[in-house]
Amino acid sequence: MESLDILFIVQLLIAGLLAGALYALLACGLNLVFGVMRIINVAHAELMLIGAYFAYVLYTFFGLHPLISLVIVVPVLFGLGQLMQRLFIERVVGQHELSSLILTYGLSIVLMNLGLAVFSADFKSIPVLQGSIVLGEMITIPITRSTAALVAIVITLMVYLFLKKTRLGKAIRATSEHPKVAEICGIDVVRVRMLTFGLATAMAGAAGVMLSTIYSFSPETGADFILKCFAIIIIGGMGSFSGAFAGGILLGVAEALVAGFFTTQWSEMVAYALLVLVLLIRPTGLRGIAYAR
Amino acid sequence: MRFADSSMDKHPLLTIRQLDASYGPVQVLFDIDMEVYRGEIVSIIGPNGAGKSTVIKAILNIATPCAGNITFNNREITKLPTHGVAALGIGYVPQGRIVFSNMSVEENLEMGAFLMKEHLARKVAVDKVFDQFPRLRERRRQLAGRLSGGEQQMLAIGRALMLDPTLVILDEPSLGLSPKYVDIIFEHLIALRDDGRTLLMVEQNAARALSTSDRGYALELGKNRYTGTGKELLANPAVRQMYLGGGNTLSTAPESFHENASPTACNAPTSLSPTSLSFHRTMGHTT
Ligand SMILES: Nc1ncnc2c1ncn2[C@@H]1O[C@H](COP(=O)(O)OP(=O)(O)OP(=O)(O)O)[C@@H](O)[C@H]1O
Ligand SMILES: [Mg+2]
Repeated sequence: MESLDILFIVQLLIAGLLAGALYALLACGLNLVFGVMRIINVAHAELMLIGAYFAYVLYTFFGLHPLISLVIVVPVLFGLGQLMQRLFIERVVGQHELSSLILTYGLSIVLMNLGLAVFSADFKSIPVLQGSIVLGEMITIPITRSTAALVAIVITLMVYLFLKKTRLGKAIRATSEHPKVAEICGIDVVRVRMLTFGLATAMAGAAGVMLSTIYSFSPETGADFILKCFAIIIIGGMGSFSGAFAGGILLGVAEALVAGFFTTQWSEMVAYALLVLVLLIRPTGLRGIAYAR
Repeated sequence: MRFADSSMDKHPLLTIRQLDASYGPVQVLFDIDMEVYRGEIVSIIGPNGAGKSTVIKAILNIATPCAGNITFNNREITKLPTHGVAALGIGYVPQGRIVFSNMSVEENLEMGAFLMKEHLARKVAVDKVFDQFPRLRERRRQLAGRLSGGEQQMLAIGRALMLDPTLVILDEPSLGLSPKYVDIIFEHLIALRDDGRTLLMVEQNAARALSTSDRGYALELGKNRYTGTGKELLANPAVRQMYLGGGNTLSTAPESFHENASPTACNAPTSLSPTSLSFHRTMGHTT
């Protein structure tokens, strides 16, 4: 009996980790943008859906496997993100928070309706092979899900290393802490912000591609995700990359456990329950010294 | 290299001409003129709110002047974006010893050399600064936020030196430091000058600043009030009374440097001067 329980929990933990990895990838990008510009991008989940539909189109018209699409989607969205920063977001940097919220909210509405116009409200999915690896007879690991999670983790890690180790990555961190001092160091902060938004968009796009392999999605799918992402970055600590990662994994696992022991409906609430819980114990979030880490 | 013979240079390294600046509707600088020659230490003194930091921020275009011009090395830099200033050979140590506190000491210095694209060149530059500040070398891997105030100020100075600037601009380098570190910082400033650099600094500690400086400018309510050599200003009774007496050496809270309130255009019909003129005591300029 006992061993069955433990196996059941392990199974849930694995499912949670796999889902959490995707949350983490998405939330890290959102928090990166917040850290550098103090802007919450309400359209972040729509950027993810651009990635998902892009993969869908490449699959339907060219038969490309989403893993291959990744190589096309990521650079294109990196460019698209930079363009969006240049054209729209840059205008509200340093302005009142309401300006950026309204702008990005407007952007999300436009993108969603564009999606509805082009792809309709029907749910789409990409039928990739859905096998499983069975470990020790009891534990099953779904192949597509774990591939998606692995890709998400690798991309998140790569961006993390970029921020930690490279000259431009360090410039992003410096800009998020003191934009004026960064400028004095010769850093063109406008370009840093373009780079940042490009990176975040590319990360969201990659999350979308991986999403397309495991879920069905519609232009309205963004809403669920963005609310969870908000919860994650507050749980992890606003502006903290590693916090967003931890928060994403935590949410994935918590949702899976609740879904396993109670019902899926309850798991929809987990993000907010967790949010309240973390804020009660640590008002600045898991990785919280207020801003930017 | 040394430029000890600064009197030989006819052209100032830095010139400020008829500079006006305002924050929103409030004009804070009126017709400021200043010159800095190669190899000099020049101090700007004045009471709180006199506009000292604003002069410096105007040079770096952090505060946008609404009238007047600024030249460096015979080149007009009034409208040069802030991130372009470092490349010209101007290093800046902001008020309140601002460091990137979530980055290591070494990374802070690397940021000072951001414009060097070669990793190796940056390492060499970091090493040179470590030679000047051995204390920083000992702490190279520590987060800058964990350093003591004096060490952070060294780091801020070190960061400003990374591109080997001709002119180093310092805003209140001794503010809020323990007396021991004030001494250390001033020693470093003199060493920088002896190294051939030119220094322009703002200091509340006017007595200390003037005795270290070749020349000084005393500001009051955003205007040039007195100028002269450090010795002359120190000896001037009016300056002594206004800038070296009554509590001006008290330190203030570090100002909100990173706030977004950057000054806008000088539409300024309102200015501080009409009401505040009543404060003025009429005293002649020293020479
Ligand atoms: N960001 C800002 N927004 C609005 N007003 C400002 C701003 N910064 C400075 N001021 C005002 O401009 C005037 C000059 O300020 P400045 O910081 O140049 O003075 P200061 O001589 O450096 O003073 P302190 O010794 O306090 O550093 C002051 O009246 C100040 O209140
Ligand atoms: Mg000041």
